[in-house]
Amino acid sequence: MKVAVYWGCVIPTIQYAYELSVREVLPKLGVELVDLNDVSCCGVPLRSVNTFASLYLAARNLAIVEKTGLNDLLVLCNGCHLSFSEALHFLKNDTKLRQKIDALLVDEGLQLKGSLQIWHLVDLLHDSIKKEVIKKSVKKPLNGLKFASQYGCHIIRPSRLGRVDDPENPRKLDELIEWLGAKTVEYPEKLDCCGALLLLSHPDAALTFAGLKMKAIQNLEVDGLIDACPSCHMMFDMRQKSSGATVGAKLNLPVLYYTQLLGIAMGIEEEKLGLHLNRSPVDELLQKTR
Amino acid sequence: MTEEVSSVLDLMTTKRPDSKLRLQVVNKIGEHKPYNCYQCIKCTSGCPAMKMLEIKPHEIVGLVRLGFVEDVINSGIIWACAMCLKCKERCPQEVAPVDLILALRNLAIEREVKVPESHLQSVSMILETGFVQKPMETVTRKLEKVNRDKLGLPKFREASEKFKSVFMKALEGA
Repeated sequence: MKVAVYWGCVIPTIQYAYELSVREVLPKLGVELVDLNDVSCCGVPLRSVNTFASLYLAARNLAIVEKTGLNDLLVLCNGCHLSFSEALHFLKNDTKLRQKIDALLVDEGLQLKGSLQIWHLVDLLHDSIKKEVIKKSVKKPLNGLKFASQYGCHIIRPSRLGRVDDPENPRKLDELIEWLGAKTVEYPEKLDCCGALLLLSHPDAALTFAGLKMKAIQNLEVDGLIDACPSCHMMFDMRQKSSGATVGAKLNLPVLYYTQLLGIAMGIEEEKLGLHLNRSPVDELLQKTR
Repeated sequence: MTEEVSSVLDLMTTKRPDSKLRLQVVNKIGEHKPYNCYQCIKCTSGCPAMKMLEIKPHEIVGLVRLGFVEDVINSGIIWACAMCLKCKERCPQEVAPVDLILALRNLAIEREVKVPESHLQSVSMILETGFVQKPMETVTRKLEKVNRDKLGLPKFREASEKFKSVFMKALEGA
């Protein structure tokens, strides 16, 4: 399977562990990644400022992907995935908006047909690569380990747009973890937001969101938290210390991208998966998997 | 629903609603109009930002529905939303308070009401490079400095000059 890959802003500028592990793991599952030229921000950071410009950015990126002739687009960031899905929905239902956007696209020799299949990491692995292939790729099963999952709001809501998993009871990421031999837990705070989008205006509240969720997860006595969104990961991994300080909790929770966990189970070297870049205390967990 | 509420008067402040401004906001959102709200408060009861920042989505919808748009924008409460989309998912009337909040933020910026500066910074970064930030140096857990190059990642590709001029047009609303 050949897919165009859209990295967005956060992954290729700071969340290198996600990019490294995706580039390492997916080709081993038969997914050929095609990098894109001249793409830009997905539009999400502009939604609050100028919705029209934000939709234009989304449409422009999609038109660039269509130009490559590929039918499948892999979007690794939850925010970007929502932005693209929303733009397609708005453009389908609003002819006036469509005409304005089309006119701008023509300036760059672009045209949007709206024909792409948009994937996120979670549904690409769960629904397209599927259980059998993933299970077969496991060389070191993660037996005896137990994880909590973090989906991130924007791949499960709003369901009317067609999202990656169920809005109130998502299970796909949990199943992906279970296919590696580990166990998962259900917990009341599972759907809670990481707070990332409040960082700009209310940083203390954002850190409280993340801190309270991690505190709850830590009490479950799991071996770690598994996510697949760069914004959530920034809150739980990079900002774990400050989140803990904000809610008065001593946090000691290993946080890994799903692709890092999958890579470990595949027997791939830790550095190739960017596991030296995680800021959360992952060493003890890595020890258990060696 | 246009003029019939203009006779409403806020007895505490003697303010009158502004139906023109209300129309301006409502035109900014798609199919999820605030008129269908019957104040069941399902949005607010599930709102994670309400617990910390006292934002009440049902009140925002209610105030806009009545036409008190300016008060909502000036209060600054619209910047307390975490964009988790639970309100949009759960509203039995398909109202989508989060979409309304985004429309109000757009309007606040158009009217040059005081807004969190950092929201505007991303615009200039996108104009410069196409993205909200440039690749940064980071450190490993052993405090070794690394960047894309050292990690063996391909060169970061910025957007073209042509993009910047079209993006300017888009910002002006084309």
